[in-house]
Amino acid sequence: MFSWLDIKYAVRLLHKRPIFTVTSVLIAAIGLGLTLYTYSLLSQLIFKPLTLDNDTPLIAIEGEFKESYAQGRPADPYHLNQISTQTELLQGMSLYTTGIRTINGLDNQLGTKKLNASLTQWNLFEVAGIQPILGRGFSPRDQFTGAEPVAVIGYEVWQNMLSGNKDIIGTSIVVNGVVTQIIGVMPQDFALPATAQIWQPLAEKSLAPTKPSKYDSFWAVGRLKKGVSLSQFQKEMQVILQKHYQDLPQEFSWRASSPGGYIKAFHFKLTHDAIFQHYSVFIAMMLMVILILILTCINIGNLLLARVNEQIKDVAIRIALGIQKKRLVLQMLWESIFICCLGGLIAILIAGYGLEVTNNVLEQIFAINGEKPFWWQLSLSADAIIVLLVTIALMIFLTGFIPAWRALSGDFNAVLKDGTRGATGKKSGKINKLLVVCEIGLSCVVLVIATILLSTSYSAKNADYGIETQNRITATLLLPTASYPWNRGAPESKKKRYDFYYQLKDQLTQLPNVNSVGYFSAFPGTGGGTSHYETEGKPAEVFDENPVWNFEGVGLDSWHSVGMSIIKGRDFDFRDIDSKEESIIINESMAKDHFPNGDAIGQRIRSVRRGGKYSSWRTIIGVVSDSVHGSVMEKTSAKHTGYGVMNRWNTITHIAVHYTGSQSQATTSLLKEINNIDSDVAAYHIQSYDNLIEQPMMLVNAVNKIFLWCGLVALFLATTGIYAVTANSITLRSQEIATRRALGARDKQVIKLFMNQAAQQLCLGLTLGIALSLWIITKLTQSMIINHSSYLIGLVAMPIIIIIMVLIATYIPTRKIILMEPSEALHQR
Amino acid sequence: MNNNNKPIVELTDIKKIFICDEVETHALSNINLKINKGEYLSISGPSGCGKSTLLSLLGLLDISSNGSYRLSGHDVSDLNSDERAIIRNKEIGFIFQSFNLISDLTVAENIELPLSYREDINKKQRDAMVKASLAKVDMLHRANHFPSQLSGGQQQRVAVARAICGNPSIILADEPTGNLDSKNAQLVMALLDQLHSEGATICMVTHDPRSAARAQRIIEIFDGKIVSDQSHIKTSAIAV
Repeated sequence: MFSWLDIKYAVRLLHKRPIFTVTSVLIAAIGLGLTLYTYSLLSQLIFKPLTLDNDTPLIAIEGEFKESYAQGRPADPYHLNQISTQTELLQGMSLYTTGIRTINGLDNQLGTKKLNASLTQWNLFEVAGIQPILGRGFSPRDQFTGAEPVAVIGYEVWQNMLSGNKDIIGTSIVVNGVVTQIIGVMPQDFALPATAQIWQPLAEKSLAPTKPSKYDSFWAVGRLKKGVSLSQFQKEMQVILQKHYQDLPQEFSWRASSPGGYIKAFHFKLTHDAIFQHYSVFIAMMLMVILILILTCINIGNLLLARVNEQIKDVAIRIALGIQKKRLVLQMLWESIFICCLGGLIAILIAGYGLEVTNNVLEQIFAINGEKPFWWQLSLSADAIIVLLVTIALMIFLTGFIPAWRALSGDFNAVLKDGTRGATGKKSGKINKLLVVCEIGLSCVVLVIATILLSTSYSAKNADYGIETQNRITATLLLPTASYPWNRGAPESKKKRYDFYYQLKDQLTQLPNVNSVGYFSAFPGTGGGTSHYETEGKPAEVFDENPVWNFEGVGLDSWHSVGMSIIKGRDFDFRDIDSKEESIIINESMAKDHFPNGDAIGQRIRSVRRGGKYSSWRTIIGVVSDSVHGSVMEKTSAKHTGYGVMNRWNTITHIAVHYTGSQSQATTSLLKEINNIDSDVAAYHIQSYDNLIEQPMMLVNAVNKIFLWCGLVALFLATTGIYAVTANSITLRSQEIATRRALGARDKQVIKLFMNQAAQQLCLGLTLGIALSLWIITKLTQSMIINHSSYLIGLVAMPIIIIIMVLIATYIPTRKIILMEPSEALHQR
Repeated sequence: MNNNNKPIVELTDIKKIFICDEVETHALSNINLKINKGEYLSISGPSGCGKSTLLSLLGLLDISSNGSYRLSGHDVSDLNSDERAIIRNKEIGFIFQSFNLISDLTVAENIELPLSYREDINKKQRDAMVKASLAKVDMLHRANHFPSQLSGGQQQRVAVARAICGNPSIILADEPTGNLDSKNAQLVMALLDQLHSEGATICMVTHDPRSAARAQRIIEIFDGKIVSDQSHIKTSAIAV
C-alpha cells in the first residue's frame, strides 16, 4: 500500500504551490503551538497532579473554598487528626499553617528580612518525600513543649541570605525575635506548601486538641497510596467524618450541614487561591484553545479540500487506472501528514517561546510579594510532547478525512467525460455549507469570549477605585512576636503594638516629604472577600439573605493617606479606641442604599455569621467616600464596605504613605524611621499604590494576554477560514453561476442569491455561536463580574465583524466569477 | 421582435482572439452569418475548430474581439453584462451538452429559473408556462423530482423544456446528444425536430454528421472559418 511515488507526488504538489504550503503550515503551527502552550501552562499550573517525583499525587485536605472568604479555608485540627489516624488510603498526612516571619542574625548582622514561613507537623518532609540536602528534617521531639526552637531553611535563603555557608547546620539565627537553631536546608525549588522559605515545627498541643476546636486553624497535605484515586479517598474521608459529625455540639452543627461535610480533599495545586478563584477562566481558556484547534483543522481541511477539487480529474484518472480506495485515502493523507508534522515542529518553537515569556511574566508578577508557588516553573515536558503528537495525529485524520472523502465520493465518470469540475453533488454542497456554519459559530465563540474577558480586565484596570494612588507608597509591617507578643490581647501587649504604629506615624508625618500616613487591614483596591451584615431592626429570615459587605479595619486619621474623606458624621478618634460600644464608619453607597433618608449616623449594624453567630452591634459614626475593595472584576468585591477602628492591632498591618518628591526618597524615609524605632520590625512589599492595585489583576491580566493572542489567532483563522471556505464553496458552484447567467440572471441577482445564502449561514452560525458564548459567559460570571460594556462589545460588535467578514468573503469570490464571461465559467477546468 | 423580413441573427466580420501567455489564438476569423426565423441550422466541424466559441458568441455568453452582431434587428455587440443577461433571458434558449441543471432545484424549479429573472411574468403565469413546457417534453410527471433522480435523457428533456419555456427567438444547442446514449439521443433530436416544425429557430453545434444532417442548413467550420454553408432537405428519417 505504501509507495514512494505517492510521497514524491505530495512533496511535488506542496512545492508547486508555495503560498498554499506556507499558509497551511502556518495555520497548523499556530493551532498546534497554542494547544501545546496551553496544555503545558494549564497542566503545570493546575491539572497535572503534584507528585514531587513520586508515584502518587499529593492532595490537599482543607475547608471548602468559599467565595465569601476569597480563599481556601483551614479546618479544625481535631477532625484532620481523625482523618489522619483512621485513613487507610493515605501513605501519610501532615498538618500545616502558613505565616510570615522576620529573620535576622544573632548580632543583627543580616538586617531584618521577611520570609514566607510554613509551620508544620514534624512529618511534612516525609509526606512530601523530599529530605533536606543538609542536616535533618523535623522529628516528633521538635514539637514538644519546651523543645529548642529549630528551623529548616530553603535553598535560596541559605544561598542568598546566609552566603551558602556549608557549616550552617547547628548555627542560630533570630526568627521573629527568637533565637532559633538551623537544623536543615531543603533542596532548590522546594517550597511546600507553596512559597515557604523557612519551616518551623508546630507545637504539639495546638496540633492535637481532644475535642472539636472553636478555631479552624490548619490545612493538611496528604499522599495517596498507590492505586488509590482521589474520589476513593474523598468517600473514605466522608465516612470517617460522618461518625464525628453526629457528636458535634450545636455550635458546630454547620460543619455537618455543608454538602459532603465542610472538609474537602482535592488535588494539591488547587489550593492556590488565584487558581481556585479563576478556575472557570482557565477552563474557558482551555475550551477556547480546543475551539481554535477545531477551527485550525477546518481551515486546513478546507484548503486541502480546495486542492482536491482542483485535482479532481487527476483523482478520477487514478481511479480509472484502478487505484484501491485505501491507497487513494493514504495518498490524500500524505499532504496532510507533511503539513501537520511541519506545523508541529514550528509549534514546539512557538510554545517554547511562549512558555519562556510566561515564566518571565510570572517572575514579574510575583517579584514583590514572592507568592509564586514553587511548581509554577513552566517548561515543555515529555507528556506535553506526547499530547502534541496525539494532536498532530488527530489533525492529520481530521484534515485528511475531508479531502479523502471528497476524493472517494465524486462522480468520476462524469468528470472524465466532461472534463469540468462542476460535478459537485448535493452532499458535497451540504458539507461546504456545514463547514461555513461551523467556521462562523466557532469564530463567534472564540472572538466573543476573548473580547469580553479583555474588555472586562481593561475596564477593571482603568476603573475608579475611589482613591488617589499618585505619590503613594504602601508596605506591610511585621512586628516580631517575641518582642510584640499577642499575649491573649493583654492591655500592655496591645499598648506596645499601638505605640509602635503611632510613633511611626508621628515621626513620618513630621518629615517634609510626607503628607500623611494611614493604616488599613486591607487597602482599597486589594483584599475583597465578603461577609453578611444586618441592620438593627431589619434582620433577614435566613443568614444567606442578609446583604454582603467588606469589613476592614482602619487606623486613626488614615483616610487622606489614600485620598478618601469623611463626607458625613465624624472620623474615628481616641474615644473609639477603648470604648466598650464599638463604632463603625460606612461607605457612601451603603448609606444611600440602606438609609436613603440620610439618617445613617447613629444606626447600628453587626456582622452575621452562619450558625446564628453575630458580632456585637456597631454604631455608625460617619460616612466615608466610596471605594472598592478587591478587584472590580471579582465576585468577592462588594459594593458596601464598613470600617472599624484598628484597636487590637495585629503584628501585621499595612501602611500607606502619601509623599512629595520621589518614591525612593519616601521609601528610604519609611525604612529609616522604622529602623530608628525598632530595627527588628520588618517592612516588606514596599511598592507604589498603583502597583499594589494592579497585583490582584496581574495573573488575570496575564491570562487575558493569552486570550488576546487567542483572539488575534481566532480572528486570523476566522478571516482566512471563512474566506477560504466561502470562496471554495462558491468556486465549486461556478458552473451553476454560469448557467444562471446563461439563463438570463443579472449580476445583481446572482450576488443577491449568494448573499442571501450567506445570510442564512450567518443566522445559523451566529445563533449557535452566541448561544455557546452565553453558556460559557454564565459559567464565568460565577466567579467574576463582567461589565455591561463588555457584553455590548462581545455580543454585538463581534457578530457584526463576523457578518461583515462573511459578506465580504461571499462578495469577493462571487464577483470574481461574475467578472468572467459565462462561456469561460461554463468550460472552466 | 420576430420579423420574417429580417434575419434573427446577423454576424458581420466576427473575430474572436484568445490571448494566453502572450500567445494569440484566432478562434474565429471573419465570420459572416445570417440566421432567419424558423431556420434549423447545424454547425459542425472537428474539435477545436471554433464551433462552441461561435455558439457562445451567438448566445451572448462571450463577446467578440471584432465585428458586429445584430440579434432580432438590434446591435448587441457592445452591450454590458446586465444588458446581455436581459437579452439572453428573453431571446435565447440554451441546451447544453452536460444539461447544466441545478442539482438543488427540482425539475419544475429548474425550468422556472429563467422565468424568475423576468419582472413581466407573475408566479401564476410562470407556473402555467412551466407546465406547458414540461408537457411538451413529456416530463410533467417528474416535475417535483431532483435532477439526480432522472436519467441523462430525462435531464436533457428538462433542459430542452427550460430552453423553450420563455418562448425565445432562437434555441442554441451545444452538442445536445453528446452525453446521451443512442436511444435518448434520438428522443432529444426528435424533440428538436418537433420544436422546429412548430416554428422554433434552432442553432445546434454538433460534430456528429448524423445529427447535423437533421438540420435544414449545415455550416461547417474549420480553423475558425466557415468553409461550407449548405441548405438541404431535412432527413428526419435518418437513424441517429
